[in-house]
Amino acid sequence: MGPDIGAWLLSWAVGLGTAVLLVIVLVHLLVSLLLIIPSWRILTRAGYSGALSLFHLVPLIGSFIVMAILAFGDWPAGEARHGDGGRR
Amino acid sequence: MAELTALAGLFGLSSAFALVGAVLAGWMAWRIVEKAGLPGWAGLGAILLTLTGIGSVVPLVLLWVFAFMRWPRDEETPAGAPRALAAPLKALADRRGWRLEGGGVALSFDESAPSYRLTGGPAEQPTDLVVPDASVGRPHARLLTAANRLGLEDLGSPGGTYIDGARLLPEHGPRDISAVRSIRLGSVELALSRT
Repeated sequence: MGPDIGAWLLSWAVGLGTAVLLVIVLVHLLVSLLLIIPSWRILTRAGYSGALSLFHLVPLIGSFIVMAILAFGDWPAGEARHGDGGRR
Repeated sequence: MAELTALAGLFGLSSAFALVGAVLAGWMAWRIVEKAGLPGWAGLGAILLTLTGIGSVVPLVLLWVFAFMRWPRDEETPAGAPRALAAPLKALADRRGWRLEGGGVALSFDESAPSYRLTGGPAEQPTDLVVPDASVGRPHARLLTAANRLGLEDLGSPGGTYIDGARLLPEHGPRDISAVRSIRLGSVELALSRT
């Protein structure tokens, strides 16, 4: 009886864990998609490949990677000129 | 108690990371929207909104707005575009030649040769310019032409070479005489002009 209970608990734990993991992955993909779509367009308008927005799929630091590319790279499609309004 | 301390430490660590992340994100957002031509505080403000109770939905909406809105950058004239008449890509070549006149001789030459020799004797080379005078050495000086400029170099002649009255010695090397009025070889004064 004892081993049966243990196996039952184990299979439950594995099944529950898989389900939770699946939900986490799905939510992650969904949230990433909400970030990827606008980022794809921003990157394209900046002159980069839109595929760089797929970095959003990287957990935790993905968004920072995409932002760093946009913030510190020289936009191939050109940047707004500063200083025209007196501020640089 | 130890667990509580550890928990507090973990909380402090994670909030410190969150703070660093927020500052970094705000800085980068500032730079990004500035590149699009918007004021930087708009990007920083969008990031700061995530720290408020509104949560992260509003910044997400703002991200979408930013992606699809009109960017002031797109309406600017391209960088380096002329605001008035464009400068010529390259200065037009001045094809005029040079002319040395005085003492009964008139010498005309141009940049077809990189250098000419001023001599008092008979011409030995096609680039020899003869100033028939006893005070002019054989050869006396060298004229150098390059990029619409004229240089003069004394070749150690006893009569001496003068640029607008100032003595030019061999150790001076070539001097730019493009803008001078006259040179003197020995006792022959030659006025410089363009042809």
